[in-house]
Amino acid sequence: MTDRCDLLVIGAGPGGYACAFRAADLGLKVTLVDARERLGGVCLNEGCIPSKALLHAAEVIRSAQDMAGWGIAFGKPRIDLDALRARKDGIVGGLTGGLGGLAARRKVTERRGTATFTGQNAVEIDGEALEFDRAVVAVGSRPVRLPGWPDDPRIWDSAAALELREVPDRLAIVGGGIIGLEMATIYSALGSEVAVVELSPQIAPGADPQAVAILARALEGHGVTLHTDTRVEEVEAGDALTLTCTGDFAGRIEADAVIQSVGRRANGDRVGAEAAGLTVTARGEIASDAAGRTDQPHIYAIGDVSGLPMLAHRATHQGHVVAEVAAGHRAALDTILIPSVAYTDPELAWIGPTEAEAKARGLTVKTTSFPWAASGRNLASGGGDGLTKLVYDPGTLRLLGGTIVGRNAGELLSEITLALEMGATLEDIGLTIHAHPTLSETTAFAAERALGMLTDL
Amino acid sequence: MTDITASPSVRKLAREKGVDLAELARSLGRTTLVREDVSGGAAPAPAAAQAGDRSYWDVDHAQYGPVTEEPTSRIARLSARNLAAAQALIPAVTHHDRADVSALEALRKAWRPEAEAQGVKLTALAFHVAALARALRAFPRFNASLSPDGETLILKGYVHVGIAVDTPHGLLVPVIRDADRKGLLAIAAEIADLAARANARKLGPDEMGGASMTISNLGGIGGTAFTPIVNPPELAILGLTRTETVTVWEGETPRPVPMVPLDLSYDHRVINGADAARFLAHHAGLIADPRRMTI
Ligand SMILES: Cc1cc2nc3c(=O)[nH]c(=O)nc-3n(C[C@H](O)[C@H](O)[C@H](O)COP(=O)(O)OP(=O)(O)OC[C@H]3O[C@@H](n4cnc5c(N)ncnc54)[C@H](O)[C@@H]3O)c2cc1C
Repeated sequence: MTDRCDLLVIGAGPGGYACAFRAADLGLKVTLVDARERLGGVCLNEGCIPSKALLHAAEVIRSAQDMAGWGIAFGKPRIDLDALRARKDGIVGGLTGGLGGLAARRKVTERRGTATFTGQNAVEIDGEALEFDRAVVAVGSRPVRLPGWPDDPRIWDSAAALELREVPDRLAIVGGGIIGLEMATIYSALGSEVAVVELSPQIAPGADPQAVAILARALEGHGVTLHTDTRVEEVEAGDALTLTCTGDFAGRIEADAVIQSVGRRANGDRVGAEAAGLTVTARGEIASDAAGRTDQPHIYAIGDVSGLPMLAHRATHQGHVVAEVAAGHRAALDTILIPSVAYTDPELAWIGPTEAEAKARGLTVKTTSFPWAASGRNLASGGGDGLTKLVYDPGTLRLLGGTIVGRNAGELLSEITLALEMGATLEDIGLTIHAHPTLSETTAFAAERALGMLTDL
Repeated sequence: MTDITASPSVRKLAREKGVDLAELARSLGRTTLVREDVSGGAAPAPAAAQAGDRSYWDVDHAQYGPVTEEPTSRIARLSARNLAAAQALIPAVTHHDRADVSALEALRKAWRPEAEAQGVKLTALAFHVAALARALRAFPRFNASLSPDGETLILKGYVHVGIAVDTPHGLLVPVIRDADRKGLLAIAAEIADLAARANARKLGPDEMGGASMTISNLGGIGGTAFTPIVNPPELAILGLTRTETVTVWEGETPRPVPMVPLDLSYDHRVINGADAARFLAHHAGLIADPRRMTI
């Protein structure tokens, strides 16, 4: 007899495991399958977590260097790459192992292998048949590979870069989005001479230009070369890798390794989706609605495979929604407020429409900001330049969005996110007592500034 | 984003209840919606408006003769608010019955020396508390409360009986906890203690509230019947008036029987008339034959 389950979850990334666990908590019989040995998907194994471990190392290296200006010199760090890698792998191992425990405690059946749809209610997992009532496609995404590049082990994708094989003397990063900039932050701190090439007019495309300018200046201060409005036309593999560029920077870049971080492609084309009657777009996406439903009402799609933005916290929330829908609840992801964070040095974080985006949508908006140069806490803790900027409706003073660049911006953003979800106005924020001295005060100060109440500037 | 402000939990509630927030905002003429807008309290707006109309009291009484003014006590104001809410929001019915207290009085007499030896006055009220506690166990839907939105019945796993005490500073309702697990003497002693401390304003806040049902006893004063007001969030209240000896015909023979009048006001949203009649008959049966409380 063929195995059966109520709910089959394909892919154990942050979307898939969150969905499987929640569904099991709601009483469904759940099977969770992943081709990887360990749970956690891209995020835990080769994304969010290992990158943050290495970024932490980078931050400590930089902070130690900065202390020279305080009369405290540590000297040049001795970096034991094997130990650093082991530490990072240990963190990943602990977290993914922990997930295994959480799955077992919920009696979620774990399966290893590649799942492929064979019909409306059936898959094969490495050849073994399994039937399901409902299924969740949470197969994530993979790095895009640019066509026409040579096959060379010195050309890395983000996963390879996080393996920390070596610290190349000269590193070129193609793609100045969040992942590319995080890699620049890591490798420049470890000692590489880094050049970033970005096709758009600014790094971190889509983010507020004023904030991005602060990040760009900081990266350049760390020795990172930034080439925007620049296209890589050709890559030649010789003794070194040679990138021929056109555009703003027309010339050649020589590198000992190159990271490709030009975006990610959804994995919808790798599950035999057609056999289940699912439509896969040219970009590999399987579209789903706010309740996670695809064009097959008993099959859901969540996370990176369901489209942009490709972020772990979006995947997790979608996973919870789908588990509830599958268990018969009325649930939906009814927010468009999904925070973006670049864990660079300094961090860049934003939520809601930027000023430009809001104007493009035809909204009448105003902005207010507070420069971190006037933040006592920022100066006292050795922080560099930073900015907290709010976008609001001038009629109602209601908050519409916000961007923060500076140390811990990712953590600080949550206040703005909650304020947005609660429909707060600038007054609500300004009248909320923020502890002094904190970086979070900069949000209150920006609000007070627009209200004409600020006394700190 | 729409122009409507509603927090994530309010949006979730609306979705679960199938409420269209945009439509609701339009009908309320507002852009900010809160939980209460979506969950819709049980109170119909007109009743609230009437309850809020104070113009009838806005009269210069002195024009009709001499008057003096006396501020009301804090307790009186609190219970006034409670009673007004109960009267406005609870569709209450009062059911009347009576119980033969011959056997109960005989027992009180027989046990008096023993009770006195323990320093306790064994009152008829103690029997009513004990009987009511057992009746509440037998009819679990009476031992319950409605949620504020009127959509959930909360059944209680405990039996606490409130006693309305008339004090010089207002009406207080101390509560006998776990009355179904206490003996008659213990209950009697507790009533005496609570009543004395209520009069002396020495009740702790934790000695009031949380009752399954309340008893309001006017037996010592008089009356043949009354219609007590349910003490929210309880579902019912039992009123007692003065025991009266009535003639009962046993075949051709008239027999004088002392009967206590029983008045049960109940929340008709939860309790129907037939169940109320059964409940009160059950209580009356326990009073008429107190030995049955022991089985
Ligand atoms: C370097 C890097 C850093 C990142 N940092 C962040 C960050 O800081 N914050 C953030 O929010 N996001 C970050 N992301 C993005 C984040 O990792 C993804 O958005 C997230 O992992 C998506 O989760 P998911 O559940 O959709 O799928 P994934 O995590 O992609 O997991 C999908 C899983 O499905 C499995 N699978 C695929 N096909 C099959 C099949 N046919 N059968 C069985 N199993 C299959 C795969 O093995 C994989 O384990 C980062 C990504 C990268 C690459």
